[in-house]
Amino acid sequence: MPTLEDDDLVFRFPQNCGRSTFRIAFQRTLRIPDSDREYPLPPGLGTFPLRHAEDFPALPDRMAARGGVVMPMWQAEALWINCSHAGRDDLPVAVKIAAGKINAVTGEAWRPGLHRDPQDYVVAPDQPWLDGFASAPGQIRQFVAMPLGDGYTAEEQITGQAEWGGLQISVTPMKRAAWDRLRKAWWPGLGERVAYLHDNFDRMSMGLGAGGLMRQRIEEDPHDLADWDQRATERVFVSLVHAAQWSALTGQQPPTAPPSAQAYAKAGLPWFQHYGCDRPALPGASPLRDLFSVAELHKAQTGQVLPGSQDIAAELPVRPFGTRPREVRSPGGW
Amino acid sequence: MQRSAAPSFGTHVRALREARAVEDSRFSLRQVAARCGVTPAYLSRLERDESPPPGAEVLVKLAHELQEDPDVMLAMGGKISDDLRAAILARPRLFADLIRALRDTPEHAVLRILREVRDGDW
Repeated sequence: MPTLEDDDLVFRFPQNCGRSTFRIAFQRTLRIPDSDREYPLPPGLGTFPLRHAEDFPALPDRMAARGGVVMPMWQAEALWINCSHAGRDDLPVAVKIAAGKINAVTGEAWRPGLHRDPQDYVVAPDQPWLDGFASAPGQIRQFVAMPLGDGYTAEEQITGQAEWGGLQISVTPMKRAAWDRLRKAWWPGLGERVAYLHDNFDRMSMGLGAGGLMRQRIEEDPHDLADWDQRATERVFVSLVHAAQWSALTGQQPPTAPPSAQAYAKAGLPWFQHYGCDRPALPGASPLRDLFSVAELHKAQTGQVLPGSQDIAAELPVRPFGTRPREVRSPGGW
Repeated sequence: MQRSAAPSFGTHVRALREARAVEDSRFSLRQVAARCGVTPAYLSRLERDESPPPGAEVLVKLAHELQEDPDVMLAMGGKISDDLRAAILARPRLFADLIRALRDTPEHAVLRILREVRDGDW
């Protein structure tokens, strides 16, 4: 079972590789403008706090029954998922990510196991981050939190129901034999809108909708499907709680609301670009491509422009990544 | 059970740096020192345990540079990170007892006290 350590989900697979640990953190970030323009990657602004769901008796019954962890998010706040390894060996892992039990890579309903045609997971460490729903080759729509039941989330748009919300994650390690084989090979050279069902959900639950367009490649798995040890798969349900109710639930202060992308850009601070490997990018999924964005739905529902949706006029300073981790700034550090 | 002695701070840093230098010339003594904001002579003395371990800021830079866990590097340098210090100072008696109780506990048993994330129905 994964553990919760310092706001990271930590996965260990001692039978596959005793020296490797794989961590998943949820990074706070700017919500990029929601328009036709494609943006580079925004910075991290620190990790979201994670807490064991079972610690809070005030949690709604349905949320408590899912187990896992709880995490606070403000309405219209964005996140990215940071994958990292620790230890001397980076045991490859296949990571399946869903929002409201809608797969973020394929747009299909959550189902156990790993699949190809279409590939429904990403491979770490090759894919260090995921910022949103895969909408087209080399392009994603940013993960943006909205209250479950208001019709904004990918889950509600695709299934017509507001049942799950949150994030669902499974991690599958590579089989030991396949990893030994790979290491040997590498080492010598080093190497339309629907009537949403609003029953039964609570006003605390948040789900993820589709935000602005961002350039990010999700790459094909270079390994054989049989190389993954699917008997060792671990999974976690991450319930998203509206940050305004975090204090009442946990007795702890939620993070402050993040700065706007416009304010960040006005300060001349950097954005990022990751060129990744040379492998083909996954094509994106039509159910995800057809999602209405949060800003489009907000305009349709309220007649108002969602604050912070205007494009940034200035040229953005973009830094390429090397092998170093993506930059994380403190929210007050700029 | 007898345990092998931990390597000295200098030996540990040198082993980490030289392992990386085999693959990448940017991990020469001179270049690592420059990136960590110290002189090559000072880094050399550190690696030979001829100078006491540096302050926390340099230890964290060395950890990042050599891809070592910052907590491990700080501990080997006789330091402790600010967040751990704050956690201990908030409940010093509790943490002192806890750490002493776990001092000789095997690693796999210590890992067991890290709470696992309970899965549910979904």
